[in-house]
Amino acid sequence: MRATFQPCVRSRRLGPRSAPTFLFVLALACASAPTARAQFDDDGAPADSSATPPTGYGSADSTGTSAQTAALGLTVEPKAGVKANVAQFTYYSDWLTTVNLARAAKATQTFNWSRDEYRKQDKTVENRKGGLNYNFGEQLPLVTVIDGSWNWSEDRTTNSAGFANLYKVDNKLVSLSASRYKFMGLGLLHSAKLGANFTDQASLNQNQRNDFREGTASANVQSGWAPARGVIVAGRLGGTATDGTRLLAGLTSPSSAYGDSVGIGVYFNRGIGTGFIQMSRSNFERKYLEFRRNANGLIDTVGVREDEKVVNELETKDALTLNFEHTFRIGRLRGVTKASHTTDDLSYAVGVSGLKERSADAANLTVTYDAGNDSVAVVYRYGWRWDDQRIRAATSSRGRQYVQERDFQVNWYRTLFEATKLSLQYHEGLTQDIAEKRFNENDKDRLQLDFSGRVERLWAGRLRSAMVFSYRQSEDASIRGTSSSNNNRKDSYELTPGYTWYLAPWFTLDQNYRVYIQYTDYLFSYLPTVTRLDDYNKRGDLTTKVTFVPNQRLTITIRHDFNRRFNAAKTTEDAAGSSFYDRNLEQDISRIDLDLKYIAAPGVTLEVGTYRTRDDKTSIGRTTSETRTDSGDLVVGSRVDRSWGAQQQFQVSAMVKKINAFGPSVTASSSDYWEADVWLKWLF
Amino acid sequence: MAQVAVLMRARVMRAVMAALGCLLAGGCLFAPRVAEPPATGEIVRYLEQLSPADVWDNLETSAEATHAPGWEAAISQTSFTYVPDDAAENQYPGVFTGWDRERELSFINALYNSDVTIVARMRNLEFVVPPSSGSESLWEGVIYDVTVTSGVDASTVRYRGSADITFSLEGNFWYISRWVDLEPESDPVSGQLLSTMGVLRGNFASK
Repeated sequence: MRATFQPCVRSRRLGPRSAPTFLFVLALACASAPTARAQFDDDGAPADSSATPPTGYGSADSTGTSAQTAALGLTVEPKAGVKANVAQFTYYSDWLTTVNLARAAKATQTFNWSRDEYRKQDKTVENRKGGLNYNFGEQLPLVTVIDGSWNWSEDRTTNSAGFANLYKVDNKLVSLSASRYKFMGLGLLHSAKLGANFTDQASLNQNQRNDFREGTASANVQSGWAPARGVIVAGRLGGTATDGTRLLAGLTSPSSAYGDSVGIGVYFNRGIGTGFIQMSRSNFERKYLEFRRNANGLIDTVGVREDEKVVNELETKDALTLNFEHTFRIGRLRGVTKASHTTDDLSYAVGVSGLKERSADAANLTVTYDAGNDSVAVVYRYGWRWDDQRIRAATSSRGRQYVQERDFQVNWYRTLFEATKLSLQYHEGLTQDIAEKRFNENDKDRLQLDFSGRVERLWAGRLRSAMVFSYRQSEDASIRGTSSSNNNRKDSYELTPGYTWYLAPWFTLDQNYRVYIQYTDYLFSYLPTVTRLDDYNKRGDLTTKVTFVPNQRLTITIRHDFNRRFNAAKTTEDAAGSSFYDRNLEQDISRIDLDLKYIAAPGVTLEVGTYRTRDDKTSIGRTTSETRTDSGDLVVGSRVDRSWGAQQQFQVSAMVKKINAFGPSVTASSSDYWEADVWLKWLF
Repeated sequence: MAQVAVLMRARVMRAVMAALGCLLAGGCLFAPRVAEPPATGEIVRYLEQLSPADVWDNLETSAEATHAPGWEAAISQTSFTYVPDDAAENQYPGVFTGWDRERELSFINALYNSDVTIVARMRNLEFVVPPSSGSESLWEGVIYDVTVTSGVDASTVRYRGSADITFSLEGNFWYISRWVDLEPESDPVSGQLLSTMGVLRGNFASK
């Protein structure tokens, strides 16, 4: 999160008494939402209570405000529609009722139904959802919302072997949240949120039940203080508790989850620039029924006795996050520095995977400079992270798996002269995988180097031309001898001239030519045990596009791609070091597209599109083979967007297309189908 | 005017010099380690990705050698999407949102680094490979079968699923640009319903 606030400027406008209040508000808005998310990434329950308090309070407040301005009354919006594509048909209907009440209170009721029928699979899915929401508005001193929801779904699938499965879920949830935003106490500005919910879920999958009934209570408080001008200190404290019972595959057991988090942040906007330092720490403990898992955390119940397939798991997690960000500006020079450190330990008391530890450090430095016609940006990134694991009952850890990343980029933009621009980019990045104590053989480095340049000119407003050159080198190196035989370096060169010519208001010609060549050098190809041959690949691609707009109703686009490519493998190298290659593949691909769009009436558009591709391939080896394949499609359709009534109460939206396709990879279900999205809506 | 031009040139030169300085500093930091020469008998042989079938078969080679560069080379560098089947999505809700090349690479490295041995058959014998045409090719309903054995506790978990795979011709080579898991398939011998690789991905991505 970037502290891009400018309290000094604002405080002058608001006056000295307003400044601390404004700073508090900004501090609370910036306070530790991302770190809270990091803490509870894997468990939804604590995150609900602590991750989003500043924005959550804001939105609750704004909901009340918007409700305040809405007129009292009842609105009903039924909607029904159908969708179709190559994979499935979907039929759906929605119902929304809104009641605006006195003192900004608002009640909404929703009902949604949908049914999916799959074309390529023996599968149907039906969903039913209902919801009731009541926002008390200004009827209570706290912003209070009660929610009730019901989600029901049935997924019936029969796979290609004839195995039929029913996956069924019936979930009911009721929740209450109450919050108060920005209130003073003990010289500090506070925000507080309380929440409670109860969930009752029953589900069935592969004839095994997985049910739970759980209640959760949570509380979250934030406080802010401004000890000096341009400096804010904000703290946060949160906790959550869940209790209930779970049933899994015939076994019933109590379940629970307890979590707490604490965070503090210092935000500054002084002569040294703007920025913040944040720290947060959290932990949780969760007891639940779980299928037996192996050392990698994968469910593994094959061959296990029935009464040992489900275990009572105890999961604990501790996390720490530190974040720093600083932005400065000196004249035309601007810099941003970001740094972070996170750790988390995840432990399973029963699961074989035992204790998992993770740590990550990251740094990011960006410097930009504007000088007249030039603009230069330099970015350097560094990342260092590791994970480790101690299998349950093991005497020592596995060893750390490190990943180290470095990335460097320079961009330079320059206006060479009138209407002519140059842009250059250089990038280099190295990623390294390192296994501590060589616990695996997968150490590897990947180096990427890119350089590209582009010159663009606009000629008298009628012709735009561009030339692009790029060079790219990538090197994949497995460090260990057991897997280094494919280590290679690829050098790629690309040259792309092109232009767009606006010949007339109704006629545009666009043409690009791209030539691309890549050399692959296998680093150990000189060894007799390595059979890889160095090679090169070359491709030329000419694209021509013509657009006609004869009138405001009709647009016609014609596009042609001609593509020629060669592959060749290195055969010999002479004493002088010259390499000789033999071609082993030649291929020509030609494709033509035609698109036509016609506006028949306001809100009504007709569309036609078609393409044809011809692919000629010659494989050269001991015997030469030639193949030709053809493919294409025809799409005919229309779009309608209309509404009727004095207040547009009736709305219709329809997109319908018929697709016919042919080609070697087109199956029966893809050769003839409809694409559609049609719905009807009524407001009263 | 001449003075202004000289000043501008000086500024540009300073900027260029600063950029070059950074480049040089960068070059020192970006030297990969020296690799050990390949050991006899451990050669991982990949096919040049001249057709979609080459790309798909390289996944099998990569999995059986637990050699991540082979899997990484098959995944499109410009656009890759993984879409799980409903069963995997239900088991790991939200985990697959925005699953791109970076997350795929992270998954395959985490899997291979976790002390596993893999037996993979990436396409069923009945699957007829369609010839490629143009610069995009779709394989519908290919069934893959992957068995993962943990070196720690010797447990074996088998994944078998049907998928739609889209291959794209980028530059001169084919890559996988979209992997849609359709549904889990059954064990051909016992008839037991197995999971797709979506569950494998979800497990490593969610921890």
